[in-house]
Formats: sequence, C-alpha cells, structure tokens
Amino acid sequence: MNVEVPLSIQRQKGGGSPRRDLFRVSIAESASVLDAIEAAWAQHDSSIQFRHACHHASCGSCAVRVNGVEKLPCVTSIAEVWDGAGEIVVEPLRNFPVIADLVVDVRGLFDRIEASEMRPIRAVEHAPPVDVGEVPRTNGQSTVVPEGIERFMRFESCIECGICISACPTAGLDDKFFGPAGLAALHRARQESVDPEAAEALLDLADGEHGAWRCHSAWACTERCPQGIDAAGAVMALRRELMTRRLRRLFRR
Amino acid sequence: MKTLESRPSSESPSEPRHVVRGHDPRRRGLGAWAFLLNRITGLGLVVYLYVHLAVLSLLARGPESWDSFIDIVRSPFFLALDVVVIAGWLIHALNGIRITLANFAFGARVQKAMFAVAMVIAGATLLVLSVLLFEGS
Repeated sequence: MNVEVPLSIQRQKGGGSPRRDLFRVSIAESASVLDAIEAAWAQHDSSIQFRHACHHASCGSCAVRVNGVEKLPCVTSIAEVWDGAGEIVVEPLRNFPVIADLVVDVRGLFDRIEASEMRPIRAVEHAPPVDVGEVPRTNGQSTVVPEGIERFMRFESCIECGICISACPTAGLDDKFFGPAGLAALHRARQESVDPEAAEALLDLADGEHGAWRCHSAWACTERCPQGIDAAGAVMALRRELMTRRLRRLFRR
Repeated sequence: MKTLESRPSSESPSEPRHVVRGHDPRRRGLGAWAFLLNRITGLGLVVYLYVHLAVLSLLARGPESWDSFIDIVRSPFFLALDVVVIAGWLIHALNGIRITLANFAFGARVQKAMFAVAMVIAGATLLVLSVLLFEGS
C-alpha cells in the first residue's frame, strides 16, 4: 500500500543560505527514508542532490540527519521516523562543509582514517562470525579463523559514513579534532601493529590537544554509530595508553 | 517542479564549526547533556573562583569591612546564590568523577547509569546542604 509522505529536505548550494523544500511523495508503506528522498527526486525535483550507492548500510555514503538524528536513510524505514502526520525533515550531517543539499564534504574524515594507515575491511568480507572455528568453503577446503580475531572486529565494521563526526559535540567545536572515527582507527591500527615503533608513532598521533584528550566524553559517537562501533570506548582506551606511557616515562627518569 | 513549500532553514551548515550548535545536546543522547552541564558548571565555578578571591581581598582592609560584608551575604538572596554554587560544585565534581571512572576504569558502558547516580547523589546532597544552610543562618 502506498502512503503520501510530507518530506522536508534541506536545500543549499555551495555557500548559499539553506532553505527547506517540502515535497509530498507517494511511496510504499514499507519504504525507507532513502526511497522517499529518491521519490522526491524522481517525482518532483531532479535537482535534489544526495549521495547513495548500496541501499543496504554497506557503503555509508547516504548518511544524513532524519528529524535531527543521524541515520543511514537506506536502512531507516518510514515507519520508524514518521508519525503519519508531521513532516519528515532530512538535513545533511553536521560538522562537515555542505557541498550541496544533502551532500557533505567528507574528505576530512577520510584523511583522518587514512592517517592511521588502517585499511578498513568489513568483518563479514574478511572472516565469518567469530564463534566459528573452522569454515568450510565451496571448494572443499576450509578456512581457519585466527584466534582472538574478535578483538579486532569492532572497528572493522566502520563504513566511514561520518555519522560519529556529525553526532560529536567536540567535532562541532574544534575543526582540528581527530574525531571518533579517526581515533578509533588509530586504536584499531595499534592493536593490529606488530612493530612497536609504529605503534608508538600511532600513539603520538592520538596525543595532543586535538587528539584523544580533546574528547569531552559525550559518548554521542558510540550512541549513534549505525554499525555498533564503540568509538568513544576506543578514545578512552587511547587515553589509558597515553597515560600509562606518560607515567612510565615519568618514573624512568 | 511540485515543491509544496519552500522556506528558509534555521541551519547554516556552510559554517560547520559553531559554538552553539556544537554544544546543542538535543538529539544527541544523555552524554551530551552531561557534557553541557559540565561545561556550564565549570565556567560558572571559574567565575565564582575569581569573585571569591575578590571578596577575600576585603580581609586585607580590616575586620570592619569583612564583618559588614558578612552581614550582607547572610540575606536569603545570597544564601540562595550559595545553593546555586553548591549545586554547580556537586554536579561538576560528581560528573568529573564519573568521567574519570568511565575513562580509566569502567568504560563507556555504564556512563549513563553513572550519570544518573551522580545526579541523584548531587540532588540529595544539595537538599541536605540547603536545609542546613538556611536553618543555620
């Protein structure tokens, strides 16, 4: 069954002042918010700019704010965010420069994640669920899952959507802040690192006023992450490691 | 184009860093409220500290100036201000303990519960201290 949904989309070109355009879109009751945005684009205004690719929470490119809350609209159903009467308000992520409409410039996020030289690999592509010891493959051979891999799984799921940066109050106050995703990547790269010097260098990156210490402990990143990554937990872990290193250096003198 | 309505938005994301929006705890979760409370009480306590130091400088002017000042601050208005300072101190101190514990001991999993506990302790202590303050004066 189709429903008529009032969809209010924030529109903006370059540095221009933003406005909200209200569209009444006709979509299936079971549709997602991304379906609704696409319907507005297809049914009313093909100049609406938005980013999307996979439609199943894998690429992280469609992240926006729905009624003020950071969401992946591809996996957010209309029913979840619509009371059947009011408007669904779709806005771009916070704390990123807006390129146009719902499209934000995420270069800063990618730069920070890459600073850790961490290559995010999705856990499901890399290895099967952690409780499986030996996995039969189609060619008759089997893959042994490395022991303790679950330790590293948490950040492997990052889809680089930028939701944590948008939710983070600190990112809104300091544009040099390394950010939840960047710091979580550093933490993850340290866990994986076998070279003590490289691990120390990663810890150096996390140090300083724009690093792990800048975090104001609002836990908004962990709360909003659509992949269930505890980025704030990673920041806290980095602080513990930094503190341990400082104390060790202090008493060595 | 069948736009039903087009109106200016309150947002101005062309300037991504913004002090007010950065602190806005709405739709961010309990931790963001805790952060905002901690910041407000922190700034308030810094201001109070300087006021306090300025007031203490009255002591250098002899006992008369100090005694006349004490007479003023015993009024219910100033006692109410004292309650505000105690509230700020309790919230900031207990939230600080919560953040330290969450950072270095328990982790983020219990941060919300710890915030609730911290605020309950703050409220109860404030109540007791307020009663003592007004009854004692």
